[in-house]
Amino acid sequence: MKKLFIILGFAAAILAVILAVTPLSNLSVAPIIVAFVSGLIVLFLSKKENKKTKTIQYIFLLVIIALGLTIYKGVFSTTEIGNTEQLEQRDEDNLEDSKEILEDIEIDEDF
Amino acid sequence: MKYYSLLFITLFSLYSLAQNKTIAPGEKLVYTASYNMSGLLTDIAQVKMEATEVVTSRSTLLRLKCTAATYKKWDNFFKIRDLYESYVNPKTLTPYLYKRDISEGGYYKFMQYKYNHKSKLVQSLKRKKNKEGKTWDENTTVNIGASTKDIISTLYSIRNMDIYKASPGDQQNFTVLFDNKETMITVKYIGKETISTQLGKKECYKLALSIKGSDILKGNNSNLLWLTADANKIPVYAKFKIPVGNGELKIVSATGLKN
Repeated sequence: MKKLFIILGFAAAILAVILAVTPLSNLSVAPIIVAFVSGLIVLFLSKKENKKTKTIQYIFLLVIIALGLTIYKGVFSTTEIGNTEQLEQRDEDNLEDSKEILEDIEIDEDF
Repeated sequence: MKYYSLLFITLFSLYSLAQNKTIAPGEKLVYTASYNMSGLLTDIAQVKMEATEVVTSRSTLLRLKCTAATYKKWDNFFKIRDLYESYVNPKTLTPYLYKRDISEGGYYKFMQYKYNHKSKLVQSLKRKKNKEGKTWDENTTVNIGASTKDIISTLYSIRNMDIYKASPGDQQNFTVLFDNKETMITVKYIGKETISTQLGKKECYKLALSIKGSDILKGNNSNLLWLTADANKIPVYAKFKIPVGNGELKIVSATGLKN
């Protein structure tokens, strides 16, 4: 039982850290909660058995890292568009090219 | 029943040839594309849809342009800079030239369709880049049906349908030329729904889209599109089912509308 929660907690905590590093940081909230709850359960179970396990610390540490990153990104990252110069250039080139092609095309009012 | 469905198909195909009453040059719609997993939203890209007038020595056409660009935070992971454009007859929205110029995370592809509606042929040009950055062209001629359009003009044609005449459950098929293949898209009218958007609370027509014989956009009303129930029929919200979670397209601003 305890082992299951340790594995679950670890897996969720690692997933949370990975997600928090990527631009999908918003999605790391779910594994953070899972990892935190698993950590609490492990803590509760080990207290019952009167044993101390290091794994709880590691799970919580990972959770804190992930949570910190997620909050940091949520506060500081703005949703702005990156450099679109190249796209605009392609847009203009295409328009010029299209105009040339369209010169040859006759528009039929029936269609 | 057969008679009714035949009548319905005929009527609806007449709609597709209907005059353009919805799209005006100067129209600009801006969207945010996001990924939604059980309520947790992540903005991915900005999508713009613009309609401008293009004047040549012989005629005036409407240029329907659709661009997609990922937000800054995504650029290092997967940079998307897509450009889709279709040059259409401003009266009937029949396409004459279509271009698709996409750059997605290092992958580049260019497609061009030059329509000849009289002979029902499309001159297709495919341009790709190899690893060394050199491009190569592939020219083909594709036979098309009488009402075949490209993806962009189809999107605008959906807006141009007389949806107020339709009753819930009605559907219409569109033939779309994509990657040199004709695909059938079915648009089904589900009913009216009021949803809140960036433009305020809007009464909308709810439509379901599906591609025949494809796994990408399956039926079961899982790919939905909301168009405002007014003369402009602005697509304000779209929802697409993907294996994990949903993709969403939400309107940010709409300017230069016709009505």
